Formats: sequence, C-alpha cells, structure tokens
Amino acid sequence: MSEHQIPRRNNEGFLEDASAWTPQVAETIAAEDAIELSDNHWEIIEFLRDFYKEHEVSPPSNRLFVKAVKEAFGEEKGNSIYLMQLFPGTPAKTACRIAGLPRPTNCL
Amino acid sequence: MSTLIVIDQPPYGGWAGREALDMAFSLAAFDQPVSLLFCGAGVNWLRKGQEPGTVRQKSVEKNLAAAPIFGVEALLADSDDCNRYGLEPGHLLDSVTLVRTDPQLFAGYSHTAFAG
Amino acid sequence: MTEIKTLHILNKSPEHPRFTRCLTVAGPEDTVLLIENGVLGLVAASASASGKLLALDADLAARGVGNQSGTVETVDYDAMVELTTRAQQVISW
Repeated sequence: MSEHQIPRRNNEGFLEDASAWTPQVAETIAAEDAIELSDNHWEIIEFLRDFYKEHEVSPPSNRLFVKAVKEAFGEEKGNSIYLMQLFPGTPAKTACRIAGLPRPTNCL
Repeated sequence: MSTLIVIDQPPYGGWAGREALDMAFSLAAFDQPVSLLFCGAGVNWLRKGQEPGTVRQKSVEKNLAAAPIFGVEALLADSDDCNRYGLEPGHLLDSVTLVRTDPQLFAGYSHTAFAG
Repeated sequence: MTEIKTLHILNKSPEHPRFTRCLTVAGPEDTVLLIENGVLGLVAASASASGKLLALDADLAARGVGNQSGTVETVDYDAMVELTTRAQQVISW
C-alpha cells in the first residue's frame, strides 16, 4: 500500500477515524516501527479493536492496557514484558496506533 | 486506604464527571482501591441504552462498563436518587449496586472526593 | 495530638446542593473546613453545623469576608495540611 492510501492520521500517527482501519493499514503502520505482525500481534490488535467497539475508549494508560489484556488472556500475556516485546516503546500507544484506535489519553 | 469518587452531575452536559472517571481509572491503574458512587443527577450515567452519537460524544455507559476490567471495585448508585429519576433496577447497568448515601457509607472509605 | 474522625472540606457556596448535604452528613464529632467559595457560607454554616467549624484564612481574606463575630476558628494552609493528616477520613465536597 502506498503512502497516499493510508487514511488520514494525526501528528502522532494515529488514525483520525477508527472505522477507516483495515488489516493492510495495520501492516503499513507497523512497518514504520519495523514491526512485522505475527499471530501474537493480531491477537492483541483484534482484542483492542473489540475493546474499543465495546467501550468506546482505548485503554487510557499502559498499566490499564496490561490489566485489560490480563483479564482477557491471563498472566502469560497480560504482562508488560510480553506486550513490550510485541509493541516496543510504550506498548499501549504503539498497539493502539497499529490497531487504528485513538491515542491512549494518559500514558502512565 | 480506599477512595470513593462521587459523581453527582449528569452526563454529557459537562466534563467534571469524565474527569472523575479518569481519576478513578488512574487510581485503579496503580492498584489503589477505588469505587464510584453516583448520586443526584449523576445516577443518569447508569441508564441503559444511551446513544450519544447524536450529540457527537462517546457513551459514558460503554466507558463505565470498562470500570470492572480496569479494577474499579464497585459502581454504587443512590437508591432514592434513582427513584427520583424513574430509574428501576432493570434500567441500570448490570454491575450497579444500590445504596443509601449516608455517613455509614462514607465511613467505609478513607477518602471521598466529589467530582467538579 | 487529637484525632479527627471525619474532616469535611467544603468549597461550595450555600446555594450549591452539596453545601446543605455536607452539613447534614457532618456529625457532632466531625470537623467542617470551609475553603474557596465555601467561606461565603460562613454565616449559614455557623448556624447549622453540629460539629467543629473552621475556615481557611486566605480564602476569607480574598473575598473580604470578615470574621467579625469571631464564631469561627481560622486556619492557614499549613494547618489545613496538618488537619488532613490527623483525620481518619477526609471528604472533599
């Protein structure tokens, strides 16, 4: 996908409109961070998309992102090391950006 | 050390309640025990079937449903105020517990803070 | 140092529903501290508070609210902080 086919994004690279997201968009955004999406990534991305549909909010902070993943998948995946390996930097921000969701409001 | 955050203002007309919700979520993020109490016009936060897309806002009903996932211990509602707004238990979010707002309730928390 | 059971920090003027609610909830063993616009309710609160009533001096001075009757004990910011540490529970109205 070429640059102009990516839906409009804000200055931090988050989609303006979560409904404009497609899996191809996710791959393109992930590639900017040199992330190649595996099944483990997709599991979290789909979880976040469902979470947003259900609650109309991204997990507001990194700690709450980890908590929400832990609620859904247990300790093994709901820990910051696992999520940091998948989504380097601030996992909640990186994962939400790739999943096409709004920026977490306060990345504690 | 547990905190009770009280929302007594209606949803959608202002931001004080949302700020209080952020505060509750932040306390929960750091594993500090926190509960939310809705009283006065604040009980309208708990009404099922809100569709605030019509006023271009996010649903506080859906936001609140994430509270237990984030570790907020309880969603409490003042039963008299629910009656005043015609809210029967069936109209409320499933995770809500009806209470009386009296000194005994506040005594269970080391800190109580009203929103806004 | 004496313990306070409940410290009520009241920053609403008397027309606000929480002003009345606070004074209703506060019992004889409690302390009510008026701050910000709450100090405008000095007269109303002195008449109805059943426990100890305090007011923050800076907020009284800022609004030109005198304490002529001398019915209320005033505290400064340091004393306010100290009160919160002595209270078993704090309610911020």
